[in-house]
Amino acid sequence: MTSAQAFEQTTEQSREQTIAQLIKLLIAIIPSYDESFWNVDTELFGAIAEFDSMALVTLIGEIEESFDIDFDDDDISAENFFSVASLADLVLEQS
Amino acid sequence: MVSTDVEFYHGNKGPLFRIIRTPENMVARLLFIAPLFEQANQTRHHITRSAINAYGQGIQSIIFDHFGTGDSHGELIDANLGLWQQDILCQLRELKAKSPHAIYLSLPLSAVLLLTDEMLALTDGIMLLQPDFNGKRFVQQLKRLALAAGLTGGNRPTNTGAEAEQVVEIAGYVMKAKLLDELAGQHINKLAGFNIDCYWFEWQEKLELLSPSRLKQQTLANKNNTLFIHQIDDVKFWLATELQVAQSFLAQELSLFSTLTASEAEGR
Repeated sequence: MTSAQAFEQTTEQSREQTIAQLIKLLIAIIPSYDESFWNVDTELFGAIAEFDSMALVTLIGEIEESFDIDFDDDDISAENFFSVASLADLVLEQS
Repeated sequence: MVSTDVEFYHGNKGPLFRIIRTPENMVARLLFIAPLFEQANQTRHHITRSAINAYGQGIQSIIFDHFGTGDSHGELIDANLGLWQQDILCQLRELKAKSPHAIYLSLPLSAVLLLTDEMLALTDGIMLLQPDFNGKRFVQQLKRLALAAGLTGGNRPTNTGAEAEQVVEIAGYVMKAKLLDELAGQHINKLAGFNIDCYWFEWQEKLELLSPSRLKQQTLANKNNTLFIHQIDDVKFWLATELQVAQSFLAQELSLFSTLTASEAEGR
């Protein structure tokens, strides 16, 4: 395996772990959906009725605690919270 | 049948709504300090369950709403940190004067931001439920709620008035900007100087590592206090509903109530 391939593999593993952790947090905050509902493509903002402002802010707080990162107010946008995938990208950018 | 009294307590600026459950053979008192803003609504159900459990163990429980919140008189815009703290202190002093029974405080989430040295001096122990001593972070989250409400179609935060008396509206809560500044200035250091029993309930999965910020807060709280940490791997009580409650938390808390009342009974 080349170093580029190894780097790519590590990055992919890290992304998968981030997605798994995010889904865990989402299940705790919005428990009304079955676990099978959640995956990388699950849309959040505007797609799930329970994903209201309170849920969104709770999620931000939980992500900051879990990943030991700090979001800026500018990070709170519809684009970043569009789906599990976009949220994972945001977390990985900050980590 | 639980003996319950509902009354209005003479607060410093207006009557405060209180629910008091007094057992026949009382051995201790427990004053519940409500957390702030939306957290008060989120935790109301669990606090009631805790109060009933305390009553069952011989502990008088007192639940009240801060001035300008819940069923208490006044408007949030007329509230300030000092007033809320004085209202708590007055109740503690009255409890102290009334009988020699031990006094405990229950402080969930942001309620710890109201804690003062004087309160700690008047109590025999405190119960901290996922406390967040970081006032700056709490206020930041509150302000984010306003930003998020803007995204989800709600009202954006509004600021009106001159700077000194600036009024802000966040997610329907209208308050003086000064109140947020006061809360943002609160931190954990006050706990370190006191030697009282401190029961800390931390929501954490069994194999999960505590985040660095939580660990730092626990370390600071344990400087001089006798800190007992109870790990809870269950539904987060601030996200709980009537259908989904944190049973293992209630069980651990009940066990603590039982231990406290047993030691109080022995001590007398």
